[in-house]
Amino acid sequence: MSEDFEDLMTNEHYEVLTEVVNIGMGQAGDSLARFLGVFIRLSIPRIKLVKADDLRKQLVELVGNDVEVTGVRQAFFTHWYGEAITLFDQGGSKDLAKLMHYPDDMDKETEKELFLDVGNLLSGACVNGVSEQFGIELNYSPPSILSQNVFVEDLFAADKMAWTHSLLMEVNFSMEEYKFKSHLLIMMTEESIETLAKDLERFMERY
Amino acid sequence: MGELPDKLSLLQVIIDRVSVGIVVVDRNHNVVLWNSFMENYSEVNTEDIIDKNLFDSFPDLPKNWLERKIQNVFVLKNFSFTSWEHRPYLFKFQHNRPITGGADYMRQNCTFLPIKGDSGDIEYVCITLFDATDISIYENMLKEAIKTLARVSNQDSLTGVYNRRYLELSLSREFNRAKRYGHPLSVVIFDLDHFKSINDTYGHMAGDEVLKEASKRINIALRDSDILGRYGGEEFVVILPETDLNSAHIIADRLREKLADEPIVYSKDVLFEKPEITVTASLGLTAMREDTLDYQTMLQEADSALYQSKEGGRNRTTKYEFVSDGSVSAPAVSAPAPAPAITAPKTQTIEDQVESEPVDVDSELKDVAFQETSELIQDGNVIYITIGHR
Repeated sequence: MSEDFEDLMTNEHYEVLTEVVNIGMGQAGDSLARFLGVFIRLSIPRIKLVKADDLRKQLVELVGNDVEVTGVRQAFFTHWYGEAITLFDQGGSKDLAKLMHYPDDMDKETEKELFLDVGNLLSGACVNGVSEQFGIELNYSPPSILSQNVFVEDLFAADKMAWTHSLLMEVNFSMEEYKFKSHLLIMMTEESIETLAKDLERFMERY
Repeated sequence: MGELPDKLSLLQVIIDRVSVGIVVVDRNHNVVLWNSFMENYSEVNTEDIIDKNLFDSFPDLPKNWLERKIQNVFVLKNFSFTSWEHRPYLFKFQHNRPITGGADYMRQNCTFLPIKGDSGDIEYVCITLFDATDISIYENMLKEAIKTLARVSNQDSLTGVYNRRYLELSLSREFNRAKRYGHPLSVVIFDLDHFKSINDTYGHMAGDEVLKEASKRINIALRDSDILGRYGGEEFVVILPETDLNSAHIIADRLREKLADEPIVYSKDVLFEKPEITVTASLGLTAMREDTLDYQTMLQEADSALYQSKEGGRNRTTKYEFVSDGSVSAPAVSAPAPAPAITAPKTQTIEDQVESEPVDVDSELKDVAFQETSELIQDGNVIYITIGHR
């Protein structure tokens, strides 16, 4: 099974995917910047095939494990199935509130709503940015809080994963004049990796 | 079999009969679609609202917020959501639990969908509205149940302070956090002196009352971030996050005074007339150092300091200090006021009423003159600094 998945995506597939994701994220960053009225710095997306057992280690490598984070997750579905997870550094909520026109003196519930709002905003823009490159329209579930103020290594319980492999795309955002940083993780299911491989084939034929 | 209706009229029927509110607005917030669900609950007919501005028809709507929400969908071409948990409702609708529900208006989960027009651009936003009243009622019940469960499993049932399980969990968490961020952390262990004789003299009910009152006094004296728990028997632990050894020493000795300075009045007693029981405690404390291995080590260190307090004559506070170069820091200052041990009950004869021997605690503490002391004991690399009085 595991070799099957590792064979599904060739190096060429990854190269093309990286390029496409890069373009999609760039567009997402553009529209977010216009919308929020700030300059947004996006990292170069990193794409990996991860095993459930390695996920914690991989996440710590990508995101670091030095601060506590709050995670918002949201499902996307129909053509591809997966979840987008936005990680917010602890302590960034004041800045986010300012950016999103939320009140300064937020209670705990309002703060949650803010995280959900921004999580939805970032993941929607980025997943859309990628799917649009393939001419695909996706649906989204409402966002929900994955966990609050935990270290990245404690974000997932490895023994509770109902999958063995997932395609992981990571991009991080920072905004000028604002302290906070956030990471977006897009994770696709095993079946969707197959679908994506076919989408990439079609994409390569077209260009 | 009759003739099947064409697809469009079939859709029309479904949109009207489905138990979901469906509203479509254009860029100017004029209503393009308003289904029966909306009609029935809002009591605004479809023909009266089509092509009218949504906000004109519903001045109660949170206009600024909702305009921004809709604008987001147009600009970002992105789904958007609201949950009853954060925003209980968008429209003030009646719900199906008016008697048993305990909610004022229908709880609503809303989705905002971008809808493309003929041009290929987003021209409309579709708002779907799900009745979440039932979910909210169950969710609230669940939350209450979880809260009760958490309280029961974390709390010591007698004193109401945290139990040992929760204490160790918190200490392990605080230890990891302090270690990671390089912040200070201190732990205090204290043990009520001669607790057995209180039980023997006044009975276990009185002993329970003393435990309750003692933990209450300590709890009131602590800061919000401090964690007090009963470690077992008459032994308690206080976790002091963001607190170094010297500050913890001052706090701990203040706690000692809180107990010793004023006797506990056991008001429920039937045999004695409200005896005043003076309770003292011996305390031991330690702080996390760079080389502290784990939280258990901290407990052991605090415990060995507590042992020094007991050895030194009780009613005192000892800090565990590890010094590698043998230098000794100055002991902290404390100025405890002397207090009598067990004040004689207002009726004179304990012995007459209960056939028990005069209490240990009495004889041991009553006759000793209280005076402030500070003491240094060096044991290898560990220095115990004790303050208290005898």
